[in-house]
Order: sequence, then C-alpha cells, then structure tokens
Amino acid sequence: MVKRFLTAVAPLAMLLCTAMAPTSTGTAAPTYAAAYATYASAIPAFARKYGLRCSACHTAWPELNAFGQRFKDNGYQLGNDRDSPIWQNNAYWPIAMRTTPQIHLESTTNQVTDAVLTGKTITQAGFDLSGVDFLLLGTLYKDITFGLVPTLDADGTTGLEAAFVRFDNLGRSPWANVKVGKFELDNLLSEKRFTWLSANGGFLYAYHYLPVGSANNFGFGDNQIGAELSGHSLNSYTRYSVSLLTTDDGEPGLPGGKSLDAMFTASRAFAMGSGLGPQRIGVFGYLGHRPTVFDTSGGAPIPGTGSANKSFVRFGATAQLWVGNLELIPLVAHASDAAELGPGGDKPAWNSALLEAHYVATPRLMVQGRYELVRMSKQGDPAFPKTQGNADAFAVGVRAYPFMFSRDGMAIHGEFAMTKTIGTAPLSGDGSGVDPASPTTVVWSRSLLLAFDFAF
Amino acid sequence: MKPQTRWMSLVSACGAALLLAGVTPAPAVAQEAHVGTLTGHAAAGKPLYTRYCAGCHGDDGDAQGENAMWIDPKPRDFTMATFKCRSTPSGSLPTDQDLYNSVERGFVTTNMPPWVALTPQNRINLVAYIKTFSPRWRTAKPGTPITIPAEPTATIQSILHGRQLYQRMECWKCHGPAGHGDGPSAHELTDNKDDPIRPYNFETGSRFMCGTANQDLYRIFMTGLDGSPMPSFADQLSPAEAWDLVHFLRTLQPLKTRESAIWHEWAATHAGELKPIGPEGGGQ
Amino acid sequence: MIARFIALAALVSVSSGIAGPPHRAPPLPAGTISGKVTYTGTLPKLRPIDMAKEPNCVTQHPTPVMTQDAVTGPANSVRYVVVYISAGDQGAPAATDTVHYDQKGCLYIPHVAAMQVHQPLAIFNDDPHSHNIHPLARVNPEWNKSQPKGAPPIRTSWDQPEFIAVKCNVHPWMHGYFVVLVTPHFTVTDSTGEFSLTGLPAGKYTVTAWHERFGTQSQEVTIGGSETKTANFVLTARPY
Repeated sequence: MVKRFLTAVAPLAMLLCTAMAPTSTGTAAPTYAAAYATYASAIPAFARKYGLRCSACHTAWPELNAFGQRFKDNGYQLGNDRDSPIWQNNAYWPIAMRTTPQIHLESTTNQVTDAVLTGKTITQAGFDLSGVDFLLLGTLYKDITFGLVPTLDADGTTGLEAAFVRFDNLGRSPWANVKVGKFELDNLLSEKRFTWLSANGGFLYAYHYLPVGSANNFGFGDNQIGAELSGHSLNSYTRYSVSLLTTDDGEPGLPGGKSLDAMFTASRAFAMGSGLGPQRIGVFGYLGHRPTVFDTSGGAPIPGTGSANKSFVRFGATAQLWVGNLELIPLVAHASDAAELGPGGDKPAWNSALLEAHYVATPRLMVQGRYELVRMSKQGDPAFPKTQGNADAFAVGVRAYPFMFSRDGMAIHGEFAMTKTIGTAPLSGDGSGVDPASPTTVVWSRSLLLAFDFAF
Repeated sequence: MKPQTRWMSLVSACGAALLLAGVTPAPAVAQEAHVGTLTGHAAAGKPLYTRYCAGCHGDDGDAQGENAMWIDPKPRDFTMATFKCRSTPSGSLPTDQDLYNSVERGFVTTNMPPWVALTPQNRINLVAYIKTFSPRWRTAKPGTPITIPAEPTATIQSILHGRQLYQRMECWKCHGPAGHGDGPSAHELTDNKDDPIRPYNFETGSRFMCGTANQDLYRIFMTGLDGSPMPSFADQLSPAEAWDLVHFLRTLQPLKTRESAIWHEWAATHAGELKPIGPEGGGQ
Repeated sequence: MIARFIALAALVSVSSGIAGPPHRAPPLPAGTISGKVTYTGTLPKLRPIDMAKEPNCVTQHPTPVMTQDAVTGPANSVRYVVVYISAGDQGAPAATDTVHYDQKGCLYIPHVAAMQVHQPLAIFNDDPHSHNIHPLARVNPEWNKSQPKGAPPIRTSWDQPEFIAVKCNVHPWMHGYFVVLVTPHFTVTDSTGEFSLTGLPAGKYTVTAWHERFGTQSQEVTIGGSETKTANFVLTARPY
C-alpha cells in the first residue's frame, strides 16, 4: 500500500527535488502528508516585524529553539528597546495564518459497525483540508503582550484556541510574568508547536490518554483558561511556571462550577556539548478537579452547578537533548484519576513514556520519529482486563522547507503514523469511533500523509 | 627517461601547479576563534550563520540579506572588517572576545538581537565564521586591547572636569549641549556607507551600543566606533581625563547612578556658577 | 712597463671596489613624461559652501569657498588630477619625505594628497576648533580620530595602494583624498593642469590620470633614453 502510494507520487517528488536543489543549505526530501488537529505554530508576523528568518527562532518550524523560547518567554520581545508597536510602521499588522492542504490515507482495523459486529477495517483516502489558525500575537505596549488565536476547522466550526494578555518582566525582572486568559500550558514538549500533522501522529498519547469509560475530559495538550505566573533567567535556561486554571479543559462559560486546577513546570538547560541547542531537563505536574454531581432541572443537569469535585494528577519529567543536529526528547509521566471519575470503583492509574527524535539536517530539512507507549498500571474497573486501553504509537516523518526566509514559510510534509490500542478505539477518532468488539482486541490505526503546510 | 625530458616534465608539473594555484582561489583558511577556553571553527559556524544571521547580514556577509533594505540602522557588512564595538584602537581589528560579546549582547535600538540564548560554543563558532568574510583577517592581527586603568571614585571635581572636557573636545557639536543628540552637526552625520546616522542621545537612558558599564563607556570614546562618525579620543585624553568624562556623561542620563546623585546634589546649590556648554565656549 | 701595468691594474682593481670606496655606476639616462590635463563637455556647477555651522571658518573666508570636486583653470585645464605611472615602473627608492595634510579654514589643504605606500603622512589641524579625521579606507584599515585645536599632528602611513576619500564628520562639507600609490612617480596637477613625471629609465610605461569626478584615463608611453615625451589627457566633464 505504501509502495503503491509512493510510486504514484514519484513524479511530484522529482519536481520538488529539483525545485529545492540550488542553495547549499538543503537537499530536498520528497513526499509529505497532511494534518489533523488545530495548532498554534510559527508566526511569520514576528519574522516580518524583526526581519529574522524563521530558522532564527525555530529549529524547524513550528518547533522552537532556545532563541525562540527566550523570545516567547520575554513576551515576544527581543529586548532591544524596539519591541513596542510604536516602533513599527503603521502598516505592520501582527497577524499570521497557517493551514495545510493535504492528501492522506487512514486505515483502522477491527472497527465495529452495524453490519460487521466483530469488526472490519475501515479505510479512507483522498485530498483534504486542515483547519486554519489565525495567529495574532504580539505586544500591546512594552512589556504587555497579547495573544489571540481564533481557529476555523476544516468543516467550518469556529473556535478560540487562545486569548490572553500577559504582563511581562514585572518589577523589571524576568522572573515574574503574569498571563491571564486561555493559553497553552507551559509544556516543555509543546503539542501545539510540534512537527506532526497526521490523524494518528498529530497528537501525543501521553497528553490525551484517558482510560476506557472515563468521565474525565482533561487533555494535557489542550489549551486551558486561567492565570499563569512564570519566570525565566535572562537566557531562559532556567524556567518555571505555576498556573491556576478553571476546570473544564478550556471550555469557557464556567461549566465546571467553582473548582480550580493547578499546574507547575520547571526546567533547567545546560550549555553542554556542541549541538544545535543546550541540554534541557524539566519536570511538570498537574493537579486537576472535576465535579461529579450536578444540580438538575427537569432531570437535565444545569451547567455550572457542579460540585463534589474529585481530583486527578498528572506528573512527569522530560528532556530536550542535542547531539550535533540530532535532538532527542524523552518523556515519562504518571497519571491517576479519582475513582469517581473513572469507569469503576478503583482509581485508574497509568504510565506513559515517549521518545521523539529530530534530525535537523539543515534549517530546511528535518527527519523525525517518535515512539510512545501507554500502560495501565491499575484499571478503574477491576473487571477490565489488565491490558485494556494500553496503547503504542509510532510515527516517522520528514519536513522539507523549499525556502527559509523572513516573510512566510512553507513545509512539504510527509508522515506515516501507526497506533496499536488494546480494547479501545484509537484516540485519533479514525474508524467508526466505537470501541472494538472485545476488551482484548488489538486495533491498528494507520495514517499516511502528504501535506503542504504553509504560514504567512 | 632522458634527463632533459624528466626536467621538462618537472618544470611543467611545477608550472601547472603554480598556474593552478594562481587561478583557483586560495583555499579558505580554517578560521578559528578563541575566547577563554572555547575554540570556535568556521566550518561549524557556517550552518549556524545561515540559520540565524544571513537574513540580514547576507549569505556573503555583505549586509545584503533579504531584510537589509527594510531595516535601519543597516546590518554590519563583514566584508569590510570594520567594527564599532572593540577593545582595540581605531583602525585595528577587534579581538575574538569583542565579536563574541557583540553577538551575545546584541545592539540596542537596532535589529541585532542579543543571542545570549545560543550556547557559548555556537556563538564562538559564529565568530570564527564571520572572520572568513574579509581577507583582512588573514593578513592582519587584531589590535592590542587598550588598557583601562581602575576607575577612580566619582567626585564632583571629576564630574566638573569632565564637563570642561565635553566642551573642549567639542562633543556637543554632535551630541548637543545637554547630550540630547541634537548638536549643530547631528542631523547631517553619515556613516562610512553614506547612510544617515544619529549620535547617541543620553536623554533616552537606553543602553549604549557597546555595553552598559562605565568601562564600556570609557572604551567607546577611547577606541572610537569605527565605521561611524564617532572618533577615537585616545590621542587626546589621558586615562584620568577619560574617567572624568565618563563621570560627567553619566550625569546626562536619566538613570539613578552614583554620578547623577553627586551631580544633582551639587547643582541644587551651585547651578548658577555653570557656564553653558556650546559655541560660546566656557563650560566651567 | 710591467710596474706601470701593475700600477694600472692596482688602480683599476681599487677603483672596481675590491678594497676601496664604492664604485658608482654612471647614472642611467632618464626620461620625462609631461603633458597637460584638460576637459571637454559641460562642467558641474560648483556651489558655495555654507560654513555657518562653524563661525570660526566663516570669518576665515571673506568670500565663500566653492566646492572643490571639479576645479578648473585657464584653457580648460583641470586641477587636482593625480597623474602617475600605473604600469612599467622599474622600481625606485621609496619616498621618505613626509606628506603634509592640513585642515585650515574648514578645508583640506591640499584637496588631494598623493603619496607612496609607507610614505609618512602628517595631518595638521590649524583651525581654532576640533576636527575629526575619517579616512574612508576600504583596503587599508578605516580609522577615525579626533584632533582638537592645538593638538600635535597625527602621523601615520598606508600599507596598501588605494584611493581613499577623507571626510570630517563634524564639518560635513569637508572632502579630500589620500591617493596612495605603489609608484614613486606621481604628481597632482595645479590650476595649470600641467604635469611632469621625471627620472624614468627607458621602458614602456602606462600613465594614468585620475580625477575624483571625471574618472580615469590611461595612455602608454615608451621612453627611449633621456627624452621627454608628451602625453596629454582630455577628461570628459559631465554636469551631474
């Protein structure tokens, strides 16, 4: 299947190779595949404002490098007394957009349908669209930063992925910054700025996994609404953040009632080795609550009246290591939910681990791979088989950038991702969306993607 | 082989080699840079330069990057091997430490960011690569850094003497009588590429191009900012006089410095004794 | 007779430098290339320089000074043209006398100073105020030094041949040139436009005339012995 696909796109690959031949910084890599989730990302508006190429802030956009991380920590300010909007030409408008037309193939085994209750393989293939992200980020004034990311899904649903204001360098110190609104959690491994786009590869199992039958709705990679106090050293090699967040996974309108979640992260980087960046290690933790009882009216729950909050935790450690142009990102995490949030009388707990590797051959060519595993250490319902819900996810990809300059960007993206889940539907939503016939059935879901990912 | 033929082939081989050496460009010297215990290599710096620097400074280091036409001040042209921020006398090359510091510090009020987030090894590799853009790095050595003696304590006498020097050295002709960058010659200044350039305005209180400390200020006027209208006063000022001038210049900034505290305390009661700075001469 | 022969041989051997004072070869015949530099075409308008920024200089010039980038003389002669041997030079002792360059009345005197590489250059400030000397060198190192009133001359020299524009940043109308040449055979024309390059051994030479606005022209001249050859230059003037 893969082979047939590749033979079909070979002529296109040749065209792309020759188009990308000239400069010394890149060799082309052909065929890419396309995207799934909404994503915040590279901001060409910043490139236009400061005259830097995308590669200055990003290892391979949208992933940030150390310089870009410092820029972001500083409130999207370079710190040269020229950040306030008054220093820009009136015509500069801090807006950028990103979208990804694509061709992709999805195939999922053991999908239960009305006609085939034991499960069949469902396959889809064709040209498709991703959503559009509108990235409005910048400074309102010196040391006052704003962000607004409206989104438009491919099916026309609108959303608001981020909307925040941030007061930077309080007391003229980089150690105190306060952000209020809806924003991405300060994850060292950012899901919003990672380089994966396919249905099965475009999210992290470690961040979104919930046990079968769980009533929880938390995703570590989902943007949350709250307030964040953060700080960093002058070169951002040391960073911390502490946040208080409302409890409904970024849904506005206070549907969860009165409860709060809390999160902390801390990381430290070391200028060791001669790789493309420093070596960084970090820890993170999340303490969340979800209401389990709602008042009702006419039998239907009244939104916002939740009570009897039960807690859940996520914590882990991660690192970003550089060996020359090879970046290695390991992550280990442990999660457990209160029994009341889970499918049964016990507290479900699980462990996840992932290793992601990027080889940034040049600023215009990156090859990547990722392997994740999720293992239930305790099922919420003692009747569940020990392995139900366990997942393995694997992905490989290439991103080639035909040009790298300071106004906009484009990546030709190819990706193959494969997940194996036991007794549960794949998290991507591929297939029928229904759990397989038995709790021990192994479900394979594969995505193959060629995409043109551009932002301007 | 007959002796004559062997000789001919040797001559022609040598001749060919010499001819080729003349025709092909001289092999790039494996340029290195050294700061402290760090050693940088140009070959490692080249991909970093393309990633971080070439957008403004140009792939050939000639300040013709795609953004150069949109920014002011223009980026540094490395092919000219003339640099503003040095510890070495005017007309001489900067040391590797000078270049390394400039990359780390950036240049305030310009588009050159502080690259402090890059690892020291990456920055020293960049310095080594920057030195490959001009042939002068192969033929000349960096100058000897000037000696900056220990700073004497700031006193009102030092500040007042510095004020006299500001008058006598005619700094006010560009920087203005109160250091606001509005002297009679300020608006016609051009740099070595004939682009307009403004003198530093002390009233903004922003960081100097070449640092923030008194030692940096000392170094600025005792080495000059090559490529700009700012000359070196090393031949005209003794170190003691230079420190007096530094102390006075600090009083022109709206920052809370020791010098400005001394100055304001004195000026509260003695301001009437001061002759104005400017064309009338004077400047007590 | 043998004694006389021996005496003669001794005299010859002594005079040929084996034991006695150095023997000087008779001087080679040396020729001269001379001529005149004139222009055709339309001259740019010279404008009076406004020195109001520096009252000291306004008082030194009862009538305003005109810009000096296209100074001409009688019979269409051109001043400040550097005429020099650009090829064929057979080497000559390097010039050691110091070239003087003066700042007076907010002008560079002379407007164009020609010198050899490594030849000493002394820059004087004879005005009652500061100047800064900023030679805009590209091949030689570019430097910039302040020279207040009464300061000693700045003594320097240049290592590479180059046509170097000189300016003072404080007084932006001040323009001059240091023309640094390899050859010791050069001259700068005065208002007669005439030049004379002497002391040239026999050979084939390229004579070049350079003017800051009217460009460069070259001619080939062959000197046979102690003869004087004429090479005139007609530069093209343009009003812009």
